[in-house]
Order: sequence, then structure tokens, then C-alpha cells
Amino acid sequence: MKLLENMGDAIKQGRVPARIFNDSEVWELEKTKLFGKVWSFLGHESEIPQPGDYVTRYIADNSIILARDEHGEIKANLNMCRHRGNQICKAEMGNSSHFRCSYHGWVYKNSGELVGVPYLKEGYDGLLDRSKWGLVSVRVDSYEGLIFGTLDPKAPTLEEYLGGFQFYLDIYLKPGPNGVEVYGPPDRWAAETDWKICAENFSGDGYHTPVAHQFGFQLGYFPSSGSTHSLGWAVHIPDKGHAIGLGHTPGLPPFMGYPDALVEHMKNTLSQGQQDIFAKTRTAVGTVFPNLSFLIQPFSPIPGEPGVRFCTMRLWHPTGAGQMEMYSWCLVPRDADPEYKERAYQAYTLAFGQAGTFEQDDFENWTNLTRQAGSSLARDLEFPYQMGMDLTPITDWPGPGIAVDRYVTENNFRNQWATWLNYVGAEG
Amino acid sequence: MSTAVSVELAVQRFLAQECLALDERRFRDWLNMFAEDGRYEVPVRVTREKDAEWDLSPKSKIFDDTKKTLEIRVRRLETDFAWAEQPPSRTRHHLSNILLDEGDEAGTYLVRSNCLIYRSRGDQPAYDLVSAQRRDLIRENGDGFLFVHRWAAIDQSTVGSRNLSFFI
Repeated sequence: MKLLENMGDAIKQGRVPARIFNDSEVWELEKTKLFGKVWSFLGHESEIPQPGDYVTRYIADNSIILARDEHGEIKANLNMCRHRGNQICKAEMGNSSHFRCSYHGWVYKNSGELVGVPYLKEGYDGLLDRSKWGLVSVRVDSYEGLIFGTLDPKAPTLEEYLGGFQFYLDIYLKPGPNGVEVYGPPDRWAAETDWKICAENFSGDGYHTPVAHQFGFQLGYFPSSGSTHSLGWAVHIPDKGHAIGLGHTPGLPPFMGYPDALVEHMKNTLSQGQQDIFAKTRTAVGTVFPNLSFLIQPFSPIPGEPGVRFCTMRLWHPTGAGQMEMYSWCLVPRDADPEYKERAYQAYTLAFGQAGTFEQDDFENWTNLTRQAGSSLARDLEFPYQMGMDLTPITDWPGPGIAVDRYVTENNFRNQWATWLNYVGAEG
Repeated sequence: MSTAVSVELAVQRFLAQECLALDERRFRDWLNMFAEDGRYEVPVRVTREKDAEWDLSPKSKIFDDTKKTLEIRVRRLETDFAWAEQPPSRTRHHLSNILLDEGDEAGTYLVRSNCLIYRSRGDQPAYDLVSAQRRDLIRENGDGFLFVHRWAAIDQSTVGSRNLSFFI
């Protein structure tokens, strides 16, 4: 594809083609070359705690059943009967030991084995080998409760794929000895928005906050001001695409917003290097390449009143060129008391659920941006991605990856789109 | 026991006035229709099998507001930086099937209704339609009423709107 031929050089010079944010050819390539190869997020272990629990999720346009089988093992299978391809599970979540197709009645265990075929004797003369027609299984692996699946049998391990980004994920996943759980099922909504602009924003777009969320400064929500807002760090894992922005406000209490008991716990669950960075972090906004993002933020629903630290996890699920569906969860520390969890969840809904005051403005901008990027003149335009090009990486940074001493910068994005190009532009 | 026709008419008028306040973007007037202890909830819906225990999450909510946080939402809309509503959406709240029952406490009523919200944004001909089931607890207040609890459940489990920058 011609668009991609010059993109590698353009990124090195700090430019990215506008067209990638809304293009049907790009989407066709993404479906197989990107989502066919990467580790995609499927669900959190706390969504399927008991044997038989399942949720249905997607990898690109493939519907996947993520289930805990009767032995407690986590299994992912394509949600498609092998006989004629009917969708076998029509619910988003539930508990079932078996799935029965409503067309001809083939029955599968929740682990994917075909166990029941009507008229096996009378119709198939007993000759159909059930062991060959189980559900199409999807390889799964997990990190700290996050379950990922890949459609590529030759993909590297999840550990290798994450490539050190686990160090930063722990800010979201290890607030206390027993990690996090989802507060409840995710908000889901559809938007005429390209998933990539969302993934980019959550890789550390500290730049948009003072303008896109200016109301928050007006209402007194932010402990940072316009003058200190650029302070913090941007970190990415080279060639892996994962990235995080860590906003820092001088003078804030360490781990601001968490209950004291949890802060004490974190001395045991986090390494010294992690504690050194995370204690100073006000906002952590990060993306596991390609489309799973997190945000943690101290927040007082009523500005000036005592607050909490809420954490949202979101999946930018692409459904077409410039089209997506959103999954948005709230993660809460398992070890927090129920009252704190509820307060953290209320803060999440007010700020970043579908009706969240901050969420609303992001999708307004992203939807309009997507529409413009699909216009005919925009097809040949590029956007500047040169912010922070001359920054020197921090030499004594205690974590993996490349870190720069600035929150408002585009270093992470250049790595993100270079990684994207490595997949989408790959031969074959 | 049937409720007096005059009360039914007064409640219908109260609900229609609420729709008008929202659609005319008189958000302060709308806020004043809530009791100080008022709650505003929209649960997350999940597509489940027929015999599932619930399909409206007992925990997850799209809106989970007190009057204080509703006031924050209104204050946000009053700034010049609520981009999701700049330029403003045109909304139209259509109410039907209003059913009134007396509440547990004297002077309170449980009002069930259907609400269909049309939302138009910008110069795009495409529009959002949000259909919701409402269950409101209202309390008599002088000559009128106040919302004690707005509970509204959207019919879609994947909501077909880029954001909910309007009220249900």
C-alpha cells in the first residue's frame, strides 16, 4: 500500500499520515496483519471467577468466548459452531458448562470440545470424528489478572510481547497484595471514531488535557495548574508500542487518593524502583499496544472535598474504518473496603464512564477528527509528531524502556505508530 | 387504590415540565426539580440468557449521581469548555405510558414511564435515539413535586451514542 511506503521515514522525521485514522484499506490490513498477530485483551480474571463463568469478547471482527472451564482453566474459543458457523453463545456473560448451537444442536463443553452431535448414528453413520470438530481455540495467557488472546500460533509469549511494560502496568494492577478486580461489567457504547486516536491519546497525551478538559481546571478539579501541567515523564518500550505518560505535580502527597492501608501494602507489592516513580505520579495514562488502555487519577467528585484514586481500563474495539465500540471498566483494589470501592466507582462514572464529564469531550473531539481524517484532501496530508524529538532519554531511570523527562511530548506516539507500521506494513 | 385523576394530571404536567427544561437547556430549572437528597441512576445493561439472575447490573452504572454531582454536571455545561455540547445538541424527550402508583411514604408516588430521546448534533443528518424505561420516585412539595429518585434503564446494552452528554 502506497500510503505505508513513506511512513517509516516520515515518522523518523516527526510526521504521520492523517489517513491512517480513517481508511478502509488500512482497516482491511489491520484486521489480519495487526489483530491477527498481536496479543489482544479479552477480559479480567475477576470477570469469570467460577468454573463455567464466561464472557464474550472480540479480537477484531472475531467473536470469542472466554470461559473458565470445569477444571478452573481459562479457555478462549471462537464463538462459532464448526458445523455451519452459527454463533453458539448470544449472551455477553453468564455461567454454563456447555454451549449448544441453536441451528442443528451441536453441543460443546465450555473448554471447546465437541461432545454432542444429533443424529450421529442415523445421519452420519457414526463416521464423524468429534475430536476433529471442536471449537476453534484461541491461545491465551495472562498477566496479573489481565487475560490476553492471540490468533497467531507463532506469536511470542505474552511476557516477551509485553517486553518490560509489566513494570508500569503494576501501577494499575498492584495496589495491595491481592491486586485489582473489576467493579462490575463494563460500559459499552459505539462511536464513529477510529480506535487508533483513542489508543494514542491514552499513551500519554498530556498535551490535550488543559484544552480538551479545560472545564476541569475551571471547576477546580485538577491539583495541577496550566503552568505545572507539562511536568512528569513519558516512557515507551521500543518496537513494542506500549507506552505510558506519568503526570507529576510537585508537593502532592505520595500515592494521593489511596487509603493509607493500601499505600502501606504497596511497599510489599511494588519494587523500590516502582515505588520511587509511582509515589510521585499524579496521573498515569498508558496503553498496551495496540488497543488496551488504563488511566489512574486522584479525583474528588466535588472539587475541594476529599477524593479517591480511580482506575479505568478500556478497550478500543475496532468495528470498521473509523468505527469502534468501547468497553470501559473500573478497576478497584481487591483489598479496599466496600465503601472505598463504591466511592472510586462513583468517581469513575462521573469522570470517565460513558456519561463521564471528561469522557464526553474526548469522544466529541475524536469523532470529529475521524470524520475529517476520512476526507479526500486529508488523504495526502500528514500531521506533525515532532514534539520532544530532541529530548535525551533519562540515563538513570529505574524502569524498563525509554523515558524522557516531560509529560507533554510525542515520543511515545512515534514509537507507537512505528510499531503499528511494522505490523501493518509487513510483507506477506 | 386508584390515585385521584387530578394527581395524575399534576404528575404528568410535572414530567412534561422536566422534559421541557431539559430540551430548552434550562439545566438550573431542571436541577431545582430534584430534592436535596435526590438520586439519579442509570444502570449498565448486559445481554444475558433469558433465565439469568439480572440483565441490569446491580453494580455498574452509567450515571450514579447525587444532587451535588448533578450540580457539577450543570456547572460544567455552564462553562465555555463543555466541548461535547458545543454547539449544543438538540434533544427531544418523548414520554409515554405514564403509570402512577402511590409510594410507601405518604405524599410520595412511584411513576413509571417510557422515554424516547432524540438527539441531533451539528449539521450531521444522523441522529441518536435512546430508548429508556424510567422509574421515578417523586415527593409532594408545596403545590408541586420533587424527584427523589430518577432511575432510568437504557434498552441497548451497547449504547449507540458516542457519549451521553445529555440527561436521560
